[in-house]
Amino acid sequence: MKHAVELEELRKTFVVKTGKGLKRENKEVVAVDSISLKVEEGQSVAFVGPNGAGKSTTIKMLTGILTPSAGSARVLGYVPWKERSKLTRSIGAVFGQRSQLWYHLPPRDTFELLGRIYNIDRKRFAERRDQLIERFAMNEYLDTQVRKLSLGQRMRAEVAASLLHFPRVLFLDEPTIGLDVIARQELRDLIREWNQEEGLTVFLTSHDAGDIESVAKRVIIINHGQLVLDDSVSKVKRHYLGSKLLSVKFRAEPTPFSIDGVELVKSSYHAMKLEVDTDKVEIDTVIKEILKAAPVADITIENPPLESVIAHIYSQPKESVQSSDV
Amino acid sequence: MEAEKEERLWFKFTGYLTLALSYIKFNLKSQWEYRGAFLSQMVAMAANNCVWVAFWALFFTRFPVLRGWGVEDVITLWAVAATGFGLAHSVCGNALALPWIIARGQLDVWMLYPRALLSHVLLGSMSATSCGDTVFGFFVYLAFVRPDLPHLLLFVVLSISVAFLFVGFSILTGSLTFFLGNAEGLAEQWRFSMITFSTYPATLFEGVVKIILYTLIPAAFVSYLPIVALKEMSMYYTALTLAGSFAVLAIGSAVFYLGLRRYESGNLLEMRG
Repeated sequence: MKHAVELEELRKTFVVKTGKGLKRENKEVVAVDSISLKVEEGQSVAFVGPNGAGKSTTIKMLTGILTPSAGSARVLGYVPWKERSKLTRSIGAVFGQRSQLWYHLPPRDTFELLGRIYNIDRKRFAERRDQLIERFAMNEYLDTQVRKLSLGQRMRAEVAASLLHFPRVLFLDEPTIGLDVIARQELRDLIREWNQEEGLTVFLTSHDAGDIESVAKRVIIINHGQLVLDDSVSKVKRHYLGSKLLSVKFRAEPTPFSIDGVELVKSSYHAMKLEVDTDKVEIDTVIKEILKAAPVADITIENPPLESVIAHIYSQPKESVQSSDV
Repeated sequence: MEAEKEERLWFKFTGYLTLALSYIKFNLKSQWEYRGAFLSQMVAMAANNCVWVAFWALFFTRFPVLRGWGVEDVITLWAVAATGFGLAHSVCGNALALPWIIARGQLDVWMLYPRALLSHVLLGSMSATSCGDTVFGFFVYLAFVRPDLPHLLLFVVLSISVAFLFVGFSILTGSLTFFLGNAEGLAEQWRFSMITFSTYPATLFEGVVKIILYTLIPAAFVSYLPIVALKEMSMYYTALTLAGSFAVLAIGSAVFYLGLRRYESGNLLEMRG
């Protein structure tokens, strides 16, 4: 299997000035600390971490915007900061906080200009543009100035614009930031579709666990510039936290019970939500106790939300986090 | 092999030309979205320039010759300077915004395109007031100097040369931001001094100031050499003007790419436009 992205001990430091007045000193801050990873072509990867973890800096190095302080990286075989011009023909990038659309012009004009920038053959350009307009359902606002579009429409146009030149890798830096629930879901569906149907490699950073669950198959978590976890999304959800959520509805008021390893998250007169630490107690033991407490009308067992898993991982020291190849 | 290389070069050249024309088209379209503001800025700039030309016209009614220069020379100077400056920033509007773009990490978006970074960034916007300068410069030259065809053609060549000079100078001053951080104020002051000196006959200055006008503030390549070239239809002065412009452009570009190695990006929320 070919690798779309390869990082080997990639490191980036910045020099910041500290102190007051004339007593100012240069201090080296490590933004990315020797990250190594490989992403296969066609894979969808979520690259997550808290603010300041080094996500955007890594993406900027992978797109050739920043030069690393040490280590190496290849994207589609190119060294990004040395072969940026060649690389940019094969990658697309969407920065949620930066726009490549012209604010006072309609998306159609930006598409036209991008066609010129990438020097795409006119016939091929027209076919691709029409395909994107149809797939991203942009017909009704294609000729509306970007400033008049909703954020959801703008982000759809933004992603479509980044796909115009047939990229093989798409970097997305917080693409759903500020979007409402529906717009967010629509955008996730589109990115997933493009990944599955067109074989596009997706490299996504987001703070939204929903983005990660909907779009990515693999999650890479970094914190303080270091890689702390690299695993499949489903495995992380299933195994990492070692806990399950039990929601129970009773037919009558249950008699109180207490089990070591079970924590009451929420309760009302006829219902309760329990978090079970599966390392301390078996699920079937807990269910037996529940059935003894009162007749049960309904019971569901869920994995904890990915958001909690990620928050838990952020708070862990690096040594305690498992990492595996995917 | 040689023919293939030539064909590739030609393809690259036409590609950039088409891109430049597309940017002019979309920049104009973007400005035209607010046509009232666009036209009023153009007219205001042209009126501002007219006041200065009127001042010089009045001056020359009292003192017909100023260090060997007459009213026609000063009008030619204003025409060349305005057309050059106007052309520079009508086509390469981002030259004026370069310190701002660098300081706010806005080069990121431009670095994601497979085009030569500097020329692509420069083409990215249009200054409305500069369009007023261009129109004013041509009009003044045609109306007051009434040139014959050779003079008009040379005027166009020299104005383009001056445009390159202004772009190169804006790149040079703007690129200081890479080294000094927030150098917007310094770049602006330096650029203003260049514009100011470009609108006075260089014959007024001597000694150290004259040296400065050929080096730190290369206004002599706007306010002296092109005017003499037009007055005498001199290829020598034309060549000197062109050489000065391309030297400034080359130095500016070199400083930009040197500074680019220090670029640290940013995380501000911005739109193009």
